[in-house]
Amino acid sequence: MTKSKFDVVVIGGGSTGTAVARDCAMRGLQTLLLERDDIASATVGTCAGMISSGLKYRDEPDMMKICSKEVVYWNHIARHIIAKNPILAPLLDLSDAASDSSYMESYSEHVEERDVPAMMFLTPDASIEIEPMLHPEIIASVYYEEYFIDPFRLCLLQALDARNHGAEIRTYCEVIDFEINDKQEIEGVIFYNRVSGATERVETKLVVNAAGPWAHKVAKSAKDYLPIRLNKGAHVIFDRRIVNIGITVKAMDGRWIYLFPHENTTLLGTTALDTWENPDTLVASFDEIEYLLQSMETVLPSIREARIIRTMTGVRPLVPDWKVPERNVTRGYRIIDHSENDGKKGLISFLGGKLVTCRHMAEAVTDLVCEKLGKDIACSTHEKPLPGNEDDVDIIALSKEYDISLHALERMRARRGTEMVKVLELTKEHPEWKTTICTCEPIIEAEIRLSIREEFPQTLNDLRRRLRLGTGPCQGTFCTYKAASILSDELGLAGDDFLVDILDFRAERWKGIRQSMRGEQLAQEELAQGMYACVGNLDQSDVDYDVKPWEEGF
Amino acid sequence: MDENEAFEYVKSTLKKEKITPYQSDELEIVKSIGACINCGLCINHCPVVAAVGLDRFSGPRSIAVELSRSPPEFWATADKVYLCTGCGTCREVCPKNVNIPEIVNVVRANIFEHRPDLVPKGLMIVKEIIEEHNLAFEPWEDKEEKEESRDMRLERLGLPSIPDIVKENAEVLFYPGCQAEERAQEVREAAKAILDYFDVDYTLLDEFSCCSLPSQLMGDAKTARKLAHQLKGKVKKLGVKKIVTTCAGCTSTLADLSVRDEWGAPAYHLLEYLVEEIGFEKLADALKKTAKPNDIHVSVHDPCHLIRHTSRQVMEHALNILRLMPGVRVSESVAHDNCCGGGGMVSFHASEVANSVVQENLIALEKTGAERLVTPCPLCTAQLESNLFKSGSSIEVDDLTVFIAQRLPKKG
Repeated sequence: MTKSKFDVVVIGGGSTGTAVARDCAMRGLQTLLLERDDIASATVGTCAGMISSGLKYRDEPDMMKICSKEVVYWNHIARHIIAKNPILAPLLDLSDAASDSSYMESYSEHVEERDVPAMMFLTPDASIEIEPMLHPEIIASVYYEEYFIDPFRLCLLQALDARNHGAEIRTYCEVIDFEINDKQEIEGVIFYNRVSGATERVETKLVVNAAGPWAHKVAKSAKDYLPIRLNKGAHVIFDRRIVNIGITVKAMDGRWIYLFPHENTTLLGTTALDTWENPDTLVASFDEIEYLLQSMETVLPSIREARIIRTMTGVRPLVPDWKVPERNVTRGYRIIDHSENDGKKGLISFLGGKLVTCRHMAEAVTDLVCEKLGKDIACSTHEKPLPGNEDDVDIIALSKEYDISLHALERMRARRGTEMVKVLELTKEHPEWKTTICTCEPIIEAEIRLSIREEFPQTLNDLRRRLRLGTGPCQGTFCTYKAASILSDELGLAGDDFLVDILDFRAERWKGIRQSMRGEQLAQEELAQGMYACVGNLDQSDVDYDVKPWEEGF
Repeated sequence: MDENEAFEYVKSTLKKEKITPYQSDELEIVKSIGACINCGLCINHCPVVAAVGLDRFSGPRSIAVELSRSPPEFWATADKVYLCTGCGTCREVCPKNVNIPEIVNVVRANIFEHRPDLVPKGLMIVKEIIEEHNLAFEPWEDKEEKEESRDMRLERLGLPSIPDIVKENAEVLFYPGCQAEERAQEVREAAKAILDYFDVDYTLLDEFSCCSLPSQLMGDAKTARKLAHQLKGKVKKLGVKKIVTTCAGCTSTLADLSVRDEWGAPAYHLLEYLVEEIGFEKLADALKKTAKPNDIHVSVHDPCHLIRHTSRQVMEHALNILRLMPGVRVSESVAHDNCCGGGGMVSFHASEVANSVVQENLIALEKTGAERLVTPCPLCTAQLESNLFKSGSSIEVDDLTVFIAQRLPKKG
């Protein structure tokens, strides 16, 4: 079934890798995507999902132009997973206002094509009417609008669309070596299948390295070199939409930070720390949490009273500009053709970039791939919609037809658009699959089953990325066992695998919870501990499970 | 664009995104919801869940952890949030005191503003009546017929006829509530008889208007504010020191509004007023003088708006008053504090849900062997009475105000 010869192997299942696989497949190339973990399981899975106008990068006008254009494309191809956030930047003194005027101008240059207004000033009274939690002494605020996308679904839809166009998508396959001939040309890729335990190889003409914070390691496996600047960013996540609109403010060090309503939560981010740590085990530090809270407190004094459910931490794979602070590093991207620097022929790597530009990056690299393969095929990724974006969905009619609650369907629509009908069709034969499995989001059993059958998850964490399983206020206190039994049923998992996956899922939740655990979330964690340790006896389980670094004692 | 135009633009965007900014007085409610730990204790206590199941009404927990998290999606909760009777049982049993009944009103207000098409039709009919008449029920077209109906009720129940009084600077405003004003007129008359018996210096409103609870419950926040403002004006103009009502819903609403809008006149349920202002001694004296009454075996229903939205002490008062009555034997029903199903405007658009909820009360009531049910709320009375009648029960229902008035001796 699996092919052994490809035109191009893409390494990395993040926003860029999946975009490249989609573009290559749509241009008819024999394409394989290899991801060592799951789709969107690293950098992109820890971002705020803003498909930004690029206003923070006003010194790079070309970049802002690209960002703006890409926003237009996203709204054309993926509007079902996009929402608009109105945003206020409250000002506490006049010096803030003066330093912001250039932002306002550069932001406003491209507003028309994005269908948003130019930046504008609001009075203190108007600002407080819109957001009563604001500091009573603000002198004005700047209003603007940005679009936000579900980063998990975006990557998954790109991967699924790539597969629809003939690409192979292999998760849990870690590239460990390359076959390189005497002419320093890459001929094959060797990878370790983490599910089966087998080492496999495929032949390929070209390799696109979109491994993000591991890009330099992939290059090293090819006995090549890729300088990179890794930068850690953390978010604090609140249990619900605690603000009416997004709030941005300058942090104590002059960086911009934000509080954005996102889906049914609110995200406070980000930090920026140069890092050399392992991206897999990185957690938010107490300092980062305080930096974010104290900076946001200057305009939202009561922010600390809101309920923090967890933190999330990722690593930005920046272009290696040195001797400048993170905020001055370009958010443009670089495509490194290793053959041009006497490196390996057939290896092309990415550095830098932003979520909003991932499609643009893919288009550029696919142009290069086609050129190298001697093909001349035009890009169409900005024209053809991603799965589910084809039409509007009438939730009220579907609710009547399938007898499922409006809200469950609306949440499903935000993930699947028109494709949600596939889930609903399953409930015709199995009405019992209308059962709610995750109460916070909510997710019904039929969607879990469909996802397992069509979206290649291997673990509960994979289901979380596809469905938001266990991402609500209770952080999987009640859905873990239920979802695990469905996964075991569909994948035929043995008893020990079932338990290990539950432990893995709990550990991954704990990774984000532990650092920020305080206030109301303490009561939640007591309850979770009661469920899993006292009732489930999971702490006494004798299955073969390695405790994760963040689970060990302080 | 100047700042005013900018603000108008922003408001139109918020409208498009279905965001109604939380008001500062709603922030406490929103914060309370953030305390939910998804334990599910409330689900086992919710009378609507018990009656119709989780598939029909997903229960208070779902309101906290799922339905109330994202205002732009509030419209998609319309098939669930209107089934909450607002009884407050969830809030009472919640280990974290999550204020579910209040967040339900916030969510309903958002739907009312952004998707009025999803507000149940039955509620929109009430909205129109309120808009036209400032009353939750269509008023009598013919004043004479209304009076005839009143007099028939007085005669049947053996209550005295006391003329209406409207005057300024009385000690007390008696506020009957829409149900007693238009439908259960005997309750209004009975309260007047009680106040008159104890020589309370009271007045009625010149022109009665609704307390605003129905508007608040259907999410019509604007009308609710208008009615509250109107009533405050009337109270201020009359110059009364206290407000007394016989309706449970009015009691909790007037008490809240009086504090929120600084009326300077506290609100009481008549039971509270009798115990706290008249005193047990006078009550006992009066009730003892009653011409030898027939023995009667009663059970009591506790209105949610008294026990959970005001204070459980009000029903302690009710029981203590009943104990003063010669010949009255009280048997407690195990479901004495279960919601009658009529709250939260549910009976106005989903009567089958309301009537399922009350079944538990009816079953428990039969087991007491009581021949009569008394309750200090004309809305609970109506809901319980019609369902007992439909079930073929021989148990009769009296509003407690009427029951008390009947047992007072003739004045003088």
